[in-house]
Formats: sequence, structure tokens, C-alpha cells
Amino acid sequence: MIAFSNTVKRYANGFEALKGISLTIEKSEIVAITGRSGAGKSTLLKLAAGIEQASQGTVMVNGQNVSQLKEAGLAVMRRNLGLVFQDHKLLFDRNVFENVALPLSIAAFSRGEIGKRVRAALDKVGLLNREKSNPIALSGGEQQRLCIARAIVNRPSILIADEPTGNLDQEYADTIMTLFKSFNQVGVTVLLSTHDEAGIAQLNCRRIALDNGKLAT
Amino acid sequence: MRSWLTAHGQACERAIKRLISQPVGTALSVLVIGIAIALPLGLYALFTNVTAAAGRVNTDPNINVYLALNASEAEARDIEKRLRAMPGVQSVRFVSREAALAQMKQVANLADLLASLEYNPLPHALSIQPRSSDPESLAALRKDFSALPKVEYVVMDFEWAQKLKRFASFAERMVLLLGLVLALAVVFVTGNTIRLQILTQKDEIEVSQLIGATKRFVRRPFMYFGAIQGLLAGLVALAAVMGFIAWAGGEVQALTASYGAEFGLRSPSLETGLVVALSAGLLGWLGAFISVWIYLHTAEKS
Repeated sequence: MIAFSNTVKRYANGFEALKGISLTIEKSEIVAITGRSGAGKSTLLKLAAGIEQASQGTVMVNGQNVSQLKEAGLAVMRRNLGLVFQDHKLLFDRNVFENVALPLSIAAFSRGEIGKRVRAALDKVGLLNREKSNPIALSGGEQQRLCIARAIVNRPSILIADEPTGNLDQEYADTIMTLFKSFNQVGVTVLLSTHDEAGIAQLNCRRIALDNGKLAT
Repeated sequence: MRSWLTAHGQACERAIKRLISQPVGTALSVLVIGIAIALPLGLYALFTNVTAAAGRVNTDPNINVYLALNASEAEARDIEKRLRAMPGVQSVRFVSREAALAQMKQVANLADLLASLEYNPLPHALSIQPRSSDPESLAALRKDFSALPKVEYVVMDFEWAQKLKRFASFAERMVLLLGLVLALAVVFVTGNTIRLQILTQKDEIEVSQLIGATKRFVRRPFMYFGAIQGLLAGLVALAAVMGFIAWAGGEVQALTASYGAEFGLRSPSLETGLVVALSAGLLGWLGAFISVWIYLHTAEKS
């Protein structure tokens, strides 16, 4: 479960990206955050992932107050989250297999376990036959699927995706949304920000609209 | 415990892969650090060899009293008795002028030259070992000896050996200081190498931290990198010093032998070699730690 309670995020330059947000995302729920650019969608997701800290109020993730977590606690929390970035954040000096293996190396899994889990994750996103390729050789849609494979390889309970279909054409976007829906069907909580109306319709999920740092609905 | 070992094993493997993947860069860094270590190590080797040689020199206080040439053996024996009675004197050895000449002929290979002399130019002498090596007591004894009749010169011939010891002690401090300065240089050189490594792996660090890597996880492979680089540099320094000693040792021995001295250069012991290699590894580790700490601290602030 993710819970925002009267959460304010104010940046060092004084800009208030979130102005007292209170909302709850239940376990195994799928929620789409919508809104114009600068509405606070990415900031909300960053707070949930512990990448940013709230200036006021609280952010609870799986019962833990993210603001009160120290560096090691935050790292452990992030290992239980799957993060999908709009710009993928892939490592181009490593192949597909090694990119997906990174979270498992961080969690100190054995070589055998890493091999099994990485191949299972690549199979789920349809990239098993590309494990030795360099990510630069993949299309935009494949890169995003690779990013999703990296996010799910740790078997997280929550998936957080920031504009996962932002740079993709509709066909690839549909594939990505189908993947999110399939993960949600096995109990994973999915929180994503998107402009993709067709994708939201495909997910048939709760929509939370943000406008200028506040809840619009 | 198992996951801790796995994490360290993986970090060490990554560090070795990085070192191997840049053979030229690695070799240059190892050489630079190795040379920086070889300098104080070479001086240390030289210093230990000199100190060992100095240790073989007798530095116990010894005072030689030379009598006038016209002093008879009876007068010399009388002075010997008076010296023995003095409270500051531990022992006295009488060396007659005849015995001194015979000894000189044997030791200095000057038999032909001395045989050509019309008379024995050497005086009777008394070699005295004082009870105390305290400079004030020795000065007082010198004054007392000089006041005795027929005494021409009083020579304290241990002063040079004491000066050699003092010089060795000074040299030891200089080697230590140089070692410290160059240890700092090793830390800075390693730190700079690691800084460049960090810059090439900035994306990996950022992504790793986003998906749950602790600072410790980020630091670990760099610290292995620095430690392995330092260790290799330590071995290079050892090889360089041992190579130099093997190359120049024979010449040094031949040179000192021509002056009638016995002095040979010896390579650092296995124990010293281990200490040097491990210390170099530790310095590399320290340089890496500082470099990564500064990067992570700055990144966190920004």
C-alpha cells in the first residue's frame, strides 16, 4: 500500500511541485496518474520511490514512512519496488542480460539464481532471444520492455512507472500496458503516470488527475 | 554471511574485469605508483644496509693516550699504574712503541716503508676504557690524562662512530618523512585514477542507487580496484628495488672491498616485501575510499 498524507514537496528554489496531496493506493491496485506537464506527476512518483523526500506530510510505502528511512533503509525499500523510467536508464556498456541482472547483483543473489531469474524476466517481456544484445541495438519499445524486465526481476510488490509509454508509438504502448496489466493480475500494485488515454482505457483502472500540484478530482 | 561474501566476490570480480579491460591505463597507473613506492623503498634498503654495517663498528668509548717519544717504558708503566688508580677508568691496555710498530707493519702492509726508517717514530700508548660514556665525564678524564707527565696527546677515537650513528638516525627520519610524503602521493594518484573511473561509470552508479544500491555497494568495486592496483604497484616497486640491488650490488661490494671494507647490498627481506605490498594495497584502498566518498557526498548534496 502507498499512502500520501497532506504531502508537500517544495524544491530548493521555492517551487512547490505538490501542495498538500492526500491519497491512498491499495495493495494490488493499478492507478494511473494523469495531468499536464509540470502538474507534479513525476514528483509524486519520486516521493513514492524515495528518490525525493517530502517537505511536509508523510509518504508511507508498505507501512514504512519513507521520509524517516536512512540511506540503507531506503536502498532496501527500493529493492522491493520496480522502477520504470521514461528514459529507460539502461547501461549501454552492458548487454541485455547484464542490465536485467543489476538489481539481483545489488541484492547479492548467487550466479545461478541470477541466471534463472533474469531469463524468466526476459521471457515475460519477450526479450529472451536478445539477452546477449547491447541495449543500443534494441528499438524504443524493446528498450522499455528491457527496463520493465529489470524492474520486475526482483519480484517487487509495487511497480512505479513514470511515463512508460511516453516515447512509444501506439502499438508498442499497448504492449507495455498489457504487461502492466498482467503483472497487476498476479497481485503487483502498479502506479504509473501517463498521458496515454487509450492505455488508461485498456488498463480499466482508477485515474488520479493532478493539476498544479493538487488533486483535480 | 553468504550474501556478504557473494557481494564481495562480485565486487572483486568487477574490479578485476575493469583493470583487465584497460590494460594500458592500468599498466601506466601501476608503474607511476610503483615508482613512487620504489623511491622510499630503495632508500630504506640502502639505509638498512648502512645501519647494519654501522652496527658492526665498535662505538664503545675508548681513549688513547700517546706519550712523548722520549718517555721510557718504565715511565710509561708508571703512568699505566696511575691511570688504573683513577676512579673513572675501567681498564687500561699498554701498547709499547715496539708492539705498535710490529702491528702497523702487519696491518697496513707498510713493512717496506717502515723498514726504511732510521728510528721508530711511534710513541708508547695506553688504550683506556672509561667506566662512563657520559660526555662530561669523558671530558673530565681527558683533562686529567692530559695533566699527567710525559703525555703528548689524548685522543678519543670513538667520536666518528657516534657521528655515524647520529647520521644513520637522521637518515632514518628522512626516509620515514620521504615515505610519508610518497605514501600521500600514492593515495592521491590512486584517488585520481578512481575519480576517472567514477566519471566513466557515472550512469551505472546513478542507476544502481535508483534501484536499491547502498553507498557501500557503489564503493566496494572501486575500493577493490584501488587495493589491487596498489598491491600490483607494491610488487612493481619491490621488483624494481630487488632488480637494482642485483644489478649494482656486486659493483658496490667490489668498490668497498678496494677500500678494505666489507659492505654488500642485501635485498629487502620477504617480511619487508610483504609489508610493502600490503601497505601499498592499503594505500590504494584508502585513495579509492576517499575518492568515492567525495563523489558520493558531492552527488548527494547536488
